[in-house]
Amino acid sequence: MRVTLAVARDLLVEALQRRWILALWLAITAAVIVLAMALRMEVVDGALAATRLFGHAVRHDIRSAEGAMQPVFQAVAYVIFYGGVFFGVLACADFGAELFSPGRIEHLLALPIRRWQLLLGTYIGVITLSVVGALYGAGAFTVLLSVKSGVWTVRPIVAALLASVTFSAIYGAMLASALFVRSAAVAAAVGGMLLVLGIIAGYRDDLAPLFNAGISRATFLAATALLPRVSQIANAAADLASSHAVDFPRLARSLFGLEAFGLGSLAVGMWQFERKDF
Amino acid sequence: MRQTGLAIEVSGLHKSYRSLIGAAQVALRGVDLRVPRGTAFGLIGQNGAGKTSFLKTLLGVVRPSAGSVRVLGGDPEEPAVRRRIGYLPERLHLPAALDGIGFLTSVARLKGVRVAAQELRDAAHRVGLSNDATRLIGTYSKGMKQRLALAAALLGAPDLLVLDEPTDGVDPLGRADIRVILAEERARGATIFLNSHLLSETERICDRIGVLARGQLVREGPLSELSGETDAYRCRFAMPAPVDPLVSLGFTPGEEAGVFRVRAACAETLNAKLDAARSRGALLVDLRRDVRDLEEVLAAAMQGAA
Repeated sequence: MRVTLAVARDLLVEALQRRWILALWLAITAAVIVLAMALRMEVVDGALAATRLFGHAVRHDIRSAEGAMQPVFQAVAYVIFYGGVFFGVLACADFGAELFSPGRIEHLLALPIRRWQLLLGTYIGVITLSVVGALYGAGAFTVLLSVKSGVWTVRPIVAALLASVTFSAIYGAMLASALFVRSAAVAAAVGGMLLVLGIIAGYRDDLAPLFNAGISRATFLAATALLPRVSQIANAAADLASSHAVDFPRLARSLFGLEAFGLGSLAVGMWQFERKDF
Repeated sequence: MRQTGLAIEVSGLHKSYRSLIGAAQVALRGVDLRVPRGTAFGLIGQNGAGKTSFLKTLLGVVRPSAGSVRVLGGDPEEPAVRRRIGYLPERLHLPAALDGIGFLTSVARLKGVRVAAQELRDAAHRVGLSNDATRLIGTYSKGMKQRLALAAALLGAPDLLVLDEPTDGVDPLGRADIRVILAEERARGATIFLNSHLLSETERICDRIGVLARGQLVREGPLSELSGETDAYRCRFAMPAPVDPLVSLGFTPGEEAGVFRVRAACAETLNAKLDAARSRGALLVDLRRDVRDLEEVLAAAMQGAA
């Protein structure tokens, strides 16, 4: 485990030097600071009496702060979920391609490391990066909104962690793809495609009736059967963040399927890695 | 300090690369090789001869299609064996976002070598990177990357150094520095396995040579043996040289006017023959051992393999 964690640690050290990752930290921090200065909320006896954004009054009825914050937390959860996964796909696409690039992989494989340790260490490093990013982004916005509104909750943070779990499955497939084709563009394309197909797969029951009964519908259902239900998890994350009812058994099934997909992809990657000459 | 036993033991090594379209590409065809510990072994051959494939099988980076490879008495895929190997790959792609010391730290950690910060600075200093060790690798020249990778290979005082074109991109003075480092490593007892296109470099560093041609080891042995007779000398006499008297003394005319070859088992015999030549009016202007350089050894081996 020591070697695996050393690989993960090296990846994080390298990641922190990257412009993409630094840009994300700066963007999140700048957004939080701007919002902290621009947003004013007046809460009287637990009710949101007035809201001003950039000095302009936001019209709304006087109602409980908790109720008023629900759509805000919901919107934040969606932005963090889809924005975070999309950014993760773009920013982390080249980690695998870099690792397996000619001249680097030979050097790494000649060190006292087993191949699976190298792959697992890379995976753990990227997932750690995504979890830290999610916690930082969601944590900062949640604390800010909680301080302003007086509504304290950790639900948006839990929702952001669901985004990280979703990304972990998508990244498993991206990393595996980099072992077949050593290209950051291909890995990004695989990640982007899985994100889009995962959104469609989450609505497969609603979309299936749009296809003619028979071969078309069966093909659609078969094609989406093994895909992660990204949109189902995003909706559950948003519901969780906004304190709406969550269908936990359904969420658990989606998460199980998601992890099965991610770990399955990683297993295919390991199989390819073990048999590949560099 | 010389060590006993074999550093590398390869028998019946075959390697072919599968292809989705077309026939498999055969890189190695039944290579047998034994390299004693403490040797500086140079592998030479033309492009595509299979040298890099051979090197990579020694490290477990490429898996043999058939045959066996043992390095330092064990399986090269075993981390315990690899921990005792330092490798410098031909193609280098170092993480541009790390600085020199950061990269060495990472390699030391992955090798399981405990080194103090000062030792890492010393390692950088040894390869001539004292002033650049804290610069980002992305700003390094090719030669500097090569030096840094050599420093990484030397971490942990490995028993075997596998070096693929170690002086590629390095300036002439840097090459001399690298030769000194490799001599020091050898004196420490390390085995050196070198693959270089620079035959003069190989000649200076190695005492044992292998010639690989079309995936087969066509020549292998001590450099002195492959380079030719050790009792033959090449003499150049001032013009006009007295040909007949020299021939009568056992000198054989060479390829150029004034150049003769002579055999002498020892220094006394050689000097006696030269004295006799001088007494017949021949004036010696140049004397050297009549050995083939590696270029000639390689050319002869390639002709033999054709």
